[in-house]
Amino acid sequence: MSFVSRSGRGLPLLTAAVLGLLAGDAFAARISRLTPPSELFASGEESPVIARFLPGQRFDLQMTIEPDPGRTIVSFDFIVDDQSTLRPFWVDGELIHDPRATLTSTITETGPAATCIAASGRTTGASGCTLVAGLAGNATVISRRAYSNSRAGVHTLRAIARQDDGTTITATGNFEIVGIDAESGQVAKNIVIFLGDGMGAAHRTAARIVSRGYAQGKAKGLLAMDTFPNTGMVMTASLNSIVTDSAPGMQNYVTGNKANNNEEGVWPDDTRDAFDNPRYEYLSEYLHNLQGKSLGVVTTADVFDATPASMAIHTSARGNGTGIVDQFFDDRDQSGLAVLLGGGRKWFLPNPSDSTSPQPVNGSQRRKSNDYVLGDDIVNGWGVARGALDPERDLIAEFRDAGFRYAADKSGLDAAFNAGTPDKLLGLFSYSNMNVAYDKIAGRRGDTAVVDAFGFPDQPMLDEMTDAALKVLSKNPNGFVALIEGASIDKQAHLMDTDRWTLEVIELDRAIAVAKRFAERNPDTLVLVTADHECSGAAIIGAATVSAATLEADPDAGKGVVGIYEAARFPKYTMAEDGYPETTHVDGKMLIGYGANADRYETWLPSRFPTRDTQQPFPPSQSPANPSVRNEGAGYLVTGQVPGDQAAHTATDIPLSAYGRGAHHFNGVFDNTDVFFKIGQIAVGGAD
Amino acid sequence: MPALSLLRRLLPGLILAALPVFVHAHGEAVSIPSVAARDVPRALAVRGELGAPPRGVVELKFGELFRMPVGPLGLEPSDKLAALDGRRVRMVGYVVPLYPPAEDRFLLSPLAVDIGHEDESLADNIPPSAVMVRLPESAGATIPRIPGLVQLTGTLSVGSREDAASGRVSSVQLTLDAPVTRALRRLSREAARSAQTPPHRH
Repeated sequence: MSFVSRSGRGLPLLTAAVLGLLAGDAFAARISRLTPPSELFASGEESPVIARFLPGQRFDLQMTIEPDPGRTIVSFDFIVDDQSTLRPFWVDGELIHDPRATLTSTITETGPAATCIAASGRTTGASGCTLVAGLAGNATVISRRAYSNSRAGVHTLRAIARQDDGTTITATGNFEIVGIDAESGQVAKNIVIFLGDGMGAAHRTAARIVSRGYAQGKAKGLLAMDTFPNTGMVMTASLNSIVTDSAPGMQNYVTGNKANNNEEGVWPDDTRDAFDNPRYEYLSEYLHNLQGKSLGVVTTADVFDATPASMAIHTSARGNGTGIVDQFFDDRDQSGLAVLLGGGRKWFLPNPSDSTSPQPVNGSQRRKSNDYVLGDDIVNGWGVARGALDPERDLIAEFRDAGFRYAADKSGLDAAFNAGTPDKLLGLFSYSNMNVAYDKIAGRRGDTAVVDAFGFPDQPMLDEMTDAALKVLSKNPNGFVALIEGASIDKQAHLMDTDRWTLEVIELDRAIAVAKRFAERNPDTLVLVTADHECSGAAIIGAATVSAATLEADPDAGKGVVGIYEAARFPKYTMAEDGYPETTHVDGKMLIGYGANADRYETWLPSRFPTRDTQQPFPPSQSPANPSVRNEGAGYLVTGQVPGDQAAHTATDIPLSAYGRGAHHFNGVFDNTDVFFKIGQIAVGGAD
Repeated sequence: MPALSLLRRLLPGLILAALPVFVHAHGEAVSIPSVAARDVPRALAVRGELGAPPRGVVELKFGELFRMPVGPLGLEPSDKLAALDGRRVRMVGYVVPLYPPAEDRFLLSPLAVDIGHEDESLADNIPPSAVMVRLPESAGATIPRIPGLVQLTGTLSVGSREDAASGRVSSVQLTLDAPVTRALRRLSREAARSAQTPPHRH
């Protein structure tokens, strides 16, 4: 809620109201955005409190002011519980710290007026402009960086801005500091978060059916994640939707705060710069600063992807690959980054030309347009690197120079341990996203068509990456925070490639088994298995009533071969010694339906080649472009319910399972941001 | 009033929807004409199995441009690519028109993709093996979108070159032979003429 006060030197309030009506709402002076986000500001309701923090967790304060026409803002303040957050700090008459000088910034539209301000007087948000579209032309964005508060409870935030005619504009919001109960038993030194991207309950069940089998209604075995003693249900909404994408889906767990879709480590703002948004501190940064923990990020995706970036990166554009990988490196002293394993080599190669259409001969994807440079207020407040627009940067060389051992493939990963466990480890096993387990395992069994076509025949499996990461991370006596992501459960569910995402869940579960064994040996470890959201509305609808050969002979059979209820019986798969099914092309195979499906042609058969991933340098020509053309002319048309040519994320709650110290905190139904405060309690205050 | 304001909001969208192919690039709207598959001349089209290339012309596939598997420090040109510098080759791929529109250059890509527009922050869709194709003389009209695979014959140049007009840098260039250039000129001009004819209303 914001209002304009014209007492004193200004016009009487009534006159102002009349003028406001004449000018229209668009020109009534107001604070149009107050950050941290709150319902108190948005609707006047005091609850729910949207923004919550651990004691001492840093976050930015920001307001967007739309002044009266022709007016400018001459002074401002952010007041928490009647105390200015901008008070200078003096010792013996000497000014030690002046937040206003070092931690604040004031941004107005400084781009060319002809392109940045429309005839209506509103901002256009065009390329080359400072502010987003639709604001008053004299809108002003004021930030106060890296604020923190240690007093538990709900606090009031009041923002005040004074115009050059002496009138003031104010707005009020709130936030909460969630206390930590000190000395509540033993703390968890190591935190391992397994994130099955897009992994809902159905994905877990499907992996169990395929890898363990059922007999007379009983599962013949459990997944490693099934053996975790505590399981809860997580609400996954983002700041701006019931249906989240992977950026807020992950970062909400490790910041305690809700982000908008596509944004990580920041709240939305009104500037076009994707790296200057108001920030809040990550779990990794908080526990590195507080306890000296290390950070490990392990993924089967490109390491710039939304989930891995949501462990340490602050940006409102999840696609800004150059800036994201640079920030991983530049701010390693803030996050404690010691392990970074996954795909995405293309972001680490020098590109002196700054051209990516086409890329330089080494395949670099680095560009100035998605790199970062930060202002003084962020650099001063957060103690982070300023950054530079430097597509020519050789980031692999810089990681090496900083003490990271670099592995380019599975053999290299093994060799990295030849001279003892390294202190720090960088593994970039593919150009973009790694190949999926279905194709990697086929390669290891001798069918190398797919991995050869992608140009990366020797990629590690996730359990091997996990083992390597835990060895390196556990060298830190202060402990670590690790994210281990099965990224392509989501990517293959989007593509409705049942055979491929099922093996992705099995691959993730094998990595979970590695961490569980680690936690058995190191009981001061908490292991969580969860997802950022469900993907595709996957459901196990039954099983084929016919043999694999019959399916192949009649790929257009569609629903005619779907056995529901007792006709589904118990599909039987044979597991090979490598831990994956010998084949998914079995008689009476398990069948999956998709509730958030786009149009697709369904044959119920495995696809020889993965559906196209345009981020790859050599996507095989045999790869179908998307599910709406895959098997066109052969399969049965299943008409979709969502637009586009891929299945979508859903808002369905997802299961979270916990093992180890503090696991008992994770029962019931809770919000994804609650997970952050549970971890904070367990890691700092103790697990009882 | 609400109806009027709704119309104002919707009007730009309705206008955009009425245009055939419309992309924002460098802050301004540009339109790239398209041609139908049936209008692609035999000299360019790939229909069924291609015969052997003409005498003196070497077949070069996208998968042969770089050493495989990919090296630990990124892609490296293959020996075959290096050996073909200055030689005549035939390549088969998809035409990717440039933005801003160009009349004498385009990209040839192993995938049917588009160049993301200027403000797109996501990774570009163009595979690194895409080749910059040059016409020895301007087509006299914007190089259009051409559906399906095309075959191109020309002289290969290997080495990093910056395109003065677009600032794009390419590592492999193909300068087209005269017959295929003529075919592209005709096609581009016909596409430009068709684009000027207002579409039928349904």
